[in-house]
Amino acid sequence: MGGLASLGISMPTLLAQIINFVILFGLLYLVAYKPIMRMLDERSRKIKESMERTEFIKQQAARAEEEAAERIEAASKEGQEVIARAMRTGEEVRRGAEQQSRQEAESLIAKARAEIQRERDEAIGELRKEFADLTILAAEKVIDRSLDKKAHRQIIDRVLEESTQLKKG
Amino acid sequence: MPEKKGCLGCSFPVIVGVLLVFLVLFVVGFAIGPLGKSMFGDLGLPSWLAVDQPHPELPAEVVFHLFGFPITNSVIGAWFTIIFLVGFSYAVTRRMKLIPSRLQSLFESFLGWLYNFCQSVAGEKNGRRFFPVVATIFLFVALNAWLSLLPGFGSITVETAEGEVHLLRGANTDINMPLALALMSFVFVEFFGLRSRGFHYLGKFVNVGQFFRSIGQLFRGGLRASLSGLITGAINIFVGFLEALSELVRIVSFTFRLFGNMTAGEILLLMAMFLIPWLFALPFYGLELLVGFVQALIFGGLTLVFLTVAVASHGGEAA
Repeated sequence: MGGLASLGISMPTLLAQIINFVILFGLLYLVAYKPIMRMLDERSRKIKESMERTEFIKQQAARAEEEAAERIEAASKEGQEVIARAMRTGEEVRRGAEQQSRQEAESLIAKARAEIQRERDEAIGELRKEFADLTILAAEKVIDRSLDKKAHRQIIDRVLEESTQLKKG
Repeated sequence: MPEKKGCLGCSFPVIVGVLLVFLVLFVVGFAIGPLGKSMFGDLGLPSWLAVDQPHPELPAEVVFHLFGFPITNSVIGAWFTIIFLVGFSYAVTRRMKLIPSRLQSLFESFLGWLYNFCQSVAGEKNGRRFFPVVATIFLFVALNAWLSLLPGFGSITVETAEGEVHLLRGANTDINMPLALALMSFVFVEFFGLRSRGFHYLGKFVNVGQFFRSIGQLFRGGLRASLSGLITGAINIFVGFLEALSELVRIVSFTFRLFGNMTAGEILLLMAMFLIPWLFALPFYGLELLVGFVQALIFGGLTLVFLTVAVASHGGEAA
């Protein structure tokens, strides 16, 4: 054992150092490891939590964005539909107005034409009557006697009718 | 402003001045020391400048007795380390905040580094269990080494009944301290091994199962069938014996690795200081800082590895 003693191994000191180590272990466990571990754990838990929350928020934001995009798309579609409908309606209205105006114009023209026709016929009838009277008068003058007014008029009318027919044809 | 010149954050005149002071100190130290004296002879410099020749002794000196219990200077050094460590830890952890102050984050990141080291070696659950052991060993060894570099260690002397002795001595340089640590490491290894594996752990050392099974087979089936089993059993017993021996050898290797490194470093510093006083020892102080860290890492790391091996179940043996 002389060798060990010359190295300095001595039971009391060894014991003291072991006790020192145990004391240090216990004290450090209390003042260092336990609080630090708790703190590290808590921090990592917090970080994990906040990261999870971030993920959640990100997802939510993505969902909201998607929803907004969807809504915008729907709105735009709706808007386009409204516009299309309005255009269609406008077209219809325009077409209706056009048709109506055309019809009106046509009816006006027809009426005018009918009026003209009627006036012309009237005028022609008047003229014819006048002419017949004049002819009869002239004939009376020529032969100097009264003619059977009624019978002659019929003749003249027939002649005129024929002539008109001829002219028209 | 002239263009920025300088080196290491100082302007050139300052750097040159500092280097000059260093050079003068070095030259004077060289002239004073025994090395210079033997080369140039005595230059008549005052003798109190010189450093006495060190007489390193392996056994630690007893400073006083506490209840009849001898207290050596290395034990006082260990107390110094304990007070420093516990005081520092207490100061840091007394008001812990989730958003740490500088000191707290320094301490936390250091312990966190050790903790990650434990987990990377021993796994998630075991790393957590081993961490206090490994961290205490690491901190104790490292701080013992570093604090013994402070002035006062090995220079403050006190009068005792046995004459003048040093008050403080680096605890690592007294073999009792590495031995105590090695014994504690051994105790923790066996404790965790027994706790996590029960009697299977002891089966590693007393590996007789195969042998007895083979003897049973010998009676039933004859020699030829059981011969290989018998040989394997004998080898297993021998391997178990080796395992047990290696556990004990670990204690010795742990002890002498730390003791040798630290004592050698201490003597190296003393001799450097003696041969060329003053500046010459400076690089060796840096070296000793590194050695202290490395030894602490080795002691803690090996303990961690042994712990991990002890709790790991050997598939073949458990079956």
